[in-house]
Amino acid sequence: MIAIENVSKAFPGVLALDGVSFTIRDAAVHGLVGENGAGKSTLIKILSGIYPDYEGAIRFDGTVRRFAAVHEAQAGGVATIFQELTVIRELSVAENIFLGREPVRPGGRLDWKAMWTSSREVLSFLDAPLDPRALVRTLSVANQQLVEICKALVLNSKVIIMDEPTSSLTEHEVRQLFALIRRLKQRGITVLYVSHKIEEIFAICDTVTVLRDGRHIGTVDRQDTSPDQVISMMVGRSLSMLFPERQARRGELLLSVRGAGREGEFRDVSFDLHEGEILGFAGLIGAGRTELARALFGATALSAGEISLHGQAIGRFRHPSRALARGVAYLSEDRKREGLMLEASIRENMSLAVLRRVSRWLFLRRRRERELVDSYITRFKIKMTSVDQLVESLSGGNQQKVVISKLLMTEARVFIFDEPTRGIDVGAKYEIYKIMNDLTAEGRGILFISSELPEVLGVSDRILCMREGLLVREFTRAEANPEAVMRVLTGGNAA
Amino acid sequence: MSGGSASFRKVLQFRELPILVYLAVMIAVFSIAVGGFFSFKNFENISRQISTVGIVSIGMTLIILTGGIDLSVGAILSFAINIGGLGIVAGWPIWIAYPFMLVLGLVLGWLNGFLITRIAVPALIITLGTMNIYRGIIMVITKGRYITPIPKVYEAIGSGYIPFVFLAVILAVFIYVSLNTRFGRNLFAIGGGEQSAVYSGVPVRRYKMIVYTISGVLSALAGMILVGKSAFIQPQAGLGYEMSAIAAVVIGGTSIFGGSGSVLGTFLGSVLMGLILAGLTMLAVNPYWQGLITGVLIILAIALDTVRQLRH
Amino acid sequence: MRRTRTGNWRILLVLAAVNVLIMGLLTALSPTFLSYGNLSAVMLRMSELSMLAIAETIVLIAGGFDLTIGAVMALSATVFGTLYVQGLPFALIVALALASGVAVGALNAFLVVALRLQPFIVTLATMSIVRSVVYGLLKGNVLSDLPEGFLNLGYVYVLKIPLLFLVVLLVAVLAIVLLRRTVVGRRIFAVGGNERTAFLSGVHVDRTKYLVYSLSGLISAMAGLMYTARIRAVVPDMGITSPLEVITAVLIGGTAITGGKGSVLGSLLGILAMYLLLNGFNLLGLNPFWQTIILGTILIYVVGQENILRGVRAALHRAKIGRQA
Repeated sequence: MIAIENVSKAFPGVLALDGVSFTIRDAAVHGLVGENGAGKSTLIKILSGIYPDYEGAIRFDGTVRRFAAVHEAQAGGVATIFQELTVIRELSVAENIFLGREPVRPGGRLDWKAMWTSSREVLSFLDAPLDPRALVRTLSVANQQLVEICKALVLNSKVIIMDEPTSSLTEHEVRQLFALIRRLKQRGITVLYVSHKIEEIFAICDTVTVLRDGRHIGTVDRQDTSPDQVISMMVGRSLSMLFPERQARRGELLLSVRGAGREGEFRDVSFDLHEGEILGFAGLIGAGRTELARALFGATALSAGEISLHGQAIGRFRHPSRALARGVAYLSEDRKREGLMLEASIRENMSLAVLRRVSRWLFLRRRRERELVDSYITRFKIKMTSVDQLVESLSGGNQQKVVISKLLMTEARVFIFDEPTRGIDVGAKYEIYKIMNDLTAEGRGILFISSELPEVLGVSDRILCMREGLLVREFTRAEANPEAVMRVLTGGNAA
Repeated sequence: MSGGSASFRKVLQFRELPILVYLAVMIAVFSIAVGGFFSFKNFENISRQISTVGIVSIGMTLIILTGGIDLSVGAILSFAINIGGLGIVAGWPIWIAYPFMLVLGLVLGWLNGFLITRIAVPALIITLGTMNIYRGIIMVITKGRYITPIPKVYEAIGSGYIPFVFLAVILAVFIYVSLNTRFGRNLFAIGGGEQSAVYSGVPVRRYKMIVYTISGVLSALAGMILVGKSAFIQPQAGLGYEMSAIAAVVIGGTSIFGGSGSVLGTFLGSVLMGLILAGLTMLAVNPYWQGLITGVLIILAIALDTVRQLRH
Repeated sequence: MRRTRTGNWRILLVLAAVNVLIMGLLTALSPTFLSYGNLSAVMLRMSELSMLAIAETIVLIAGGFDLTIGAVMALSATVFGTLYVQGLPFALIVALALASGVAVGALNAFLVVALRLQPFIVTLATMSIVRSVVYGLLKGNVLSDLPEGFLNLGYVYVLKIPLLFLVVLLVAVLAIVLLRRTVVGRRIFAVGGNERTAFLSGVHVDRTKYLVYSLSGLISAMAGLMYTARIRAVVPDMGITSPLEVITAVLIGGTAITGGKGSVLGSLLGILAMYLLLNGFNLLGLNPFWQTIILGTILIYVVGQENILRGVRAALHRAKIGRQA
């Protein structure tokens, strides 16, 4: 039995886990659910030994253990199968299973026979017809996952944590995985099953723990609850979250997308955006929203679809510079890696997308640049010491303001905001909502991608729901409520 | 490459097949086009050349497998034989001089490994720096002069079939290590997914230090074989060996990104390169074109490898 | 901890101070140091490496790496020399020599961009190719049959300053203007600073890379011609030690190996420091190969420092933000 006692963990600017306490029974399948940012992945990393620093304690069968490294956790009986598989592609199945602990004969020679035999044992227990000598890179993702599970078993794990295990599996493979999990349970192994797919949770888990905003909301046995109740727990925060008042004034047709598709990411996406409108895109990880946004913007290539601006057919954008030239701007969800040049100054970052505008012929007009940058700093009240300050020394909220300023400077007509408020505090979030309102009041249109439901609901005029690459449902602001939307997103159609 | 003798042959069919074909073609072409290609004298030259580059390349293979690189191999080679050479002319017996050279190689290789694993600087830069440090020290100590006379006894190791014997033994040892020992297999893991290797408890830092040390020793050994070639030792010894070694490694199918490859492939790669170079010399092609061929081959090999990586 | 762009000025000041210090030391140790003869000799000898440093700085700022600088220098000199013997007009052979440098640069860029190969390995390979072309063309010979007027360029002085050095200053000024005052320069910094950010902000990353590598080739080719004029011959081994010296000087001068930051002025100060050291060694009768040893050590040290410093800064930053949260 694992007792998680008052576990907290903070990162710069954000409290990922806040006094989480609950118990995981032995030989059970224990589900862990929560929205993006709820704290699931932090908790898993703590249990796996990736984060040895945290407050609180974790008891394994009564004894407090704190793992300083992953292989310590493994020695302690906890193995994790991450969403990003950690198999070594060029090695064989058997070698992956025994990585770091390969059986050795006296003299140093690897004991292949032992490896293959043990591997076959484990593989047959899992009912997996794999050849221990096959190179892992020749296997399907599902089979690679199986190899990881074998590895966990051979480690004599008592707890196996599975992080979003079905994200790359077909339906058939998911069923096989569930059968496997049941077999693990029979063997007395505890499975911690982390997923945002409610239907799966209810298909395989005995107990469910819900996290929200880093806090533990509840732990219930499956038979004592329902999908609706779980969804409620996931999203049900008092919508006392502040949103600025919004007067939606819908104008002319601004952006029109028909049949947009990209191999393996999304397909058949069609929608309209009007002037003055905020169109929200709700969805879970893997739904394809960011992929859609990047393809529309020209950062990646659309394999199908047409874009029209103001009724004029454009076709597709081949390069971000084309999109920007046409008045379409994209704010990436990964501020640090795609929105900023960390070791450059505020000024250089901000003016990056509008270099032509602050230059004459080829030469930069420093004064013009300075004026422009200053105006945005004032407008958004960016806290800094000097315009030449390096961006890496700003707080998260101010960094985001710099990135937004960069985009706003382009005076685009269509803005695509991808998770604009991720990782910033409540006050800064409010300011960003205000910015969005101001933009639409000027007649611009915004595509707003967010994984925080309250935000999408509180800010958007209309909400499009994406699931596994498809646009599945549209809600108007009036129709939308958290449970209904989450139900659509998770596919838990207990409607 | 999975281990065990049965699968060994199976793998040989896939990974090394293309290069075997090239080799066969090359040998055929050269023996037809160039009379006397396979004469004894010529064979001795080729054998020495292939052996020295081959031995160094084997060390380089291990390093590149872990995702690293070593530009200082030529410098280590030169250092070992030059400093050792000073000892020789000072009267040291061969059974002191040879071990001394090997120890020098070990120390310098170890130093590379130490710096690379302790300082967060890319191996590229570190070995670029050490290459020049080692060569600089050589020049300061030898004052740029050749070291001579070298007693005839030192030629033994470099004559006839002997170099090939060394190469064969080292080849066998390291093929075995890379296929059949925990250390060897873990090298693939370090190059293919260092994070996973760390998570699984593989002693990554220690293994990295070991490969650089091994490379140093092998470089020294190659130098010892070279010493036999002529009656003097020059400070410029080993110039360009790093290029040839890298070329042999990538041509032999090892990925420059680390994580996949084979020692046997490297051997075949160095044989191929050795033959091409020797063949060109016999065809009276200007030896200066060697660099061009090496460079083009490297680019082709890496381009192919990149394509292969992208496809996965 | 606040970091501003002007933090760079600190490095430059330190370098300048170091240079002044060395000069002071050398003056004290050797009376001939401050003589006009010695100083102008230093200026002259610095010329080619300074050009290469400018070229490498531009490439590094863009996040790339160019090991072909020395080889291109030799190539352009070789093209110049061998074509002259054929009797072609002066302007034409100069143009072709420079074009050969640009061609190598474009080749490098192609391999890096289109084939997505790592710049280090690519330029390592192309360096080898270019070198062997040089050897192949020269067949081991030294060319000294060169235009009269050209050969005297090394002796031309304008306002008491060697003409060749003035060329360096001109190119340096142009490079600084390009990098700091033009749109193109901003894009170069952006691509080096964060390629994905630059791309999403509308910068044509590929075009920028082609530009910097071609520029590097062009400037290196110019350096080749200048070197030839100065030593009055084309030597096959030209520039063979240059990559290390130049890269070390450039890194010391404040240009980051990862790109996005850099200073032509800093690189030149770095070259100056190196030359002063070498000059000092000569005057004091020390073995010049100590320089190679010292450079290798400094290279490791400087890059290591940068990384260690970055780690320290990041840690301090996290601590600070943590306190604010």
